[in-house]
Amino acid sequence: MKRNQKLAYLFITPSLLILIVFVFVPLFSAFFISLTNMDIYMNEYHWIGFENYKRMLEDSRVWNATKNTIVYTVAEVPLQIFLSLLLLFLMLGNTRFHKLLRTVFYLPYVCSMTAISIMWSMILNKNSGMVAYLLAKIGIQIPNLLATEGYAMGTVVAVSVWKNFGYTLTLLTAAALGVSSSLYEAAEIDGAGWAARFLHVTIPAIRQTILFCLVTTLITALQVFDQIYVLTQGGPLFSTETLVGYIFERGFRAAPFDVGYATSVAVYLFFLIAVLTFILRRYTTRREEEE
Amino acid sequence: MSKKAFAIVSNLILILFMLLILLPLCWLFVSAFKSDLAVNAWPPRFFPDKWVNTQFTYVWRILPIPVMLKNTVCFVLAVTGISLFFDSLSAYAFARMDFKGKKLLFGIILLTMMIPFQVVMIPIYLEEYKLGILNTFWGLVLPRAASAYGIFMLTSFFSGIPRSLDEAARIDGMSEFGIYFKIILPLSKPAFVTLGIFHLMNNWNDLLYPMMLTSTQEKRTLSAGLATLVGSNAIKYGPTLAATVISISPLLIVFLCGQRFFMEGISTSGMKE
Repeated sequence: MKRNQKLAYLFITPSLLILIVFVFVPLFSAFFISLTNMDIYMNEYHWIGFENYKRMLEDSRVWNATKNTIVYTVAEVPLQIFLSLLLLFLMLGNTRFHKLLRTVFYLPYVCSMTAISIMWSMILNKNSGMVAYLLAKIGIQIPNLLATEGYAMGTVVAVSVWKNFGYTLTLLTAAALGVSSSLYEAAEIDGAGWAARFLHVTIPAIRQTILFCLVTTLITALQVFDQIYVLTQGGPLFSTETLVGYIFERGFRAAPFDVGYATSVAVYLFFLIAVLTFILRRYTTRREEEE
Repeated sequence: MSKKAFAIVSNLILILFMLLILLPLCWLFVSAFKSDLAVNAWPPRFFPDKWVNTQFTYVWRILPIPVMLKNTVCFVLAVTGISLFFDSLSAYAFARMDFKGKKLLFGIILLTMMIPFQVVMIPIYLEEYKLGILNTFWGLVLPRAASAYGIFMLTSFFSGIPRSLDEAARIDGMSEFGIYFKIILPLSKPAFVTLGIFHLMNNWNDLLYPMMLTSTQEKRTLSAGLATLVGSNAIKYGPTLAATVISISPLLIVFLCGQRFFMEGISTSGMKE
């Protein structure tokens, strides 16, 4: 056993080393950096205590970004899950056509968010895009969706759902196809229709997977960045600027590259994600216990 | 609703959704072959009047596409390969060996899964700056050379393999490394494929990570290089379309060829939790 122990440590050393250097050290330094006035060039920075956090409280862009991040999440996550559940329901027959469709629905997820966002920004363009043209043909005038306050966030959400629902759908499908057919037969004997069978057999049976999807999409949504960077760059008038976008902006894009401050916003985001995930898990597990 | 009516209605809705997915993607691919004039024309046409490849040649000239493609492929393959190896070694230790602090270490590794990248992003940048590996190949690969997610997933998979198999080998005098290599690895092919695909897709499509750690076009990956094209003020639609097609095509081709693996991979990764 003694020899075995040494070997075990040898086995975990490479991974552990990487995780220590690139996760733990950065995590702890994040807390420290957020207490300094460091900039990207790292010259003459010093300890300033909780000054960055105090500044954050007065920074309206932080609150605006928090609001936008939450609005995005509250819209995107339920839409993505709901759309996947709807399509799952329609494809429970598992015919050949359905199998083909699952591949089709997964295609956007294989593409990068950058590529998908570029594609949609052109299709939705007011002056040369297909959508504006087709809508104009049936007499509907649309504003410039990505450059108009009030429409931009909705468009970003729609593009995100379009790209991501295939992922959720695939997970849910795998779980749903594993549901024992005897359950469905029993429900059929009881005279349950299609919808009733889906609501009372399928959904309870795949509850764990739905919960998994909910938590993972929530965490991803709170870190939204790629699509906004390409589609709107946070505009118009900061109406789509999210927390990660703001962190990136303050730390890497806009002088004076205020890394200390950007990191304090990142630490704040970390707690926000942790708290929201915790609440979601708490809420969903409690409901489970009640049932 | 009768069975037949349900099938008709549901198929109609499904076809609608299929078009909603396929039409934009088709538009993207055919539009990359339009001339500058045709891309910006009003009324827009779905198909090009004349198929041209000027956009591709233009992109080829202004962006170092072959270099970026090479960067992406090397980066993705190195990350996937190294991390599969490191993750599986650790997973083997956690699933099959006893050592002091095992529970604690495993707990700590699980915890790292919950840390969003954005929190460690700036410190990693500064760390790489101090180590002098910023804007290098290894600077991109090392932070991703092990993943908590991978260790977690493989540990749960290895634990599911009957212990009787390796007990027998151990009695025959096989070393731990031998058992890992000759017994556990071959039995875990599905898990490896799943995780490999996961790493492959994530890293190929990642934007913020490579964008932050690289600063010159020659070191950029496709996804990050493409974003600089959008970020620059003089955005030209035609070339951007071509560049987009170039960046997503390799992975799409791999997906369509191995779609059975992809789909199975994704579904097993979800069931594990």
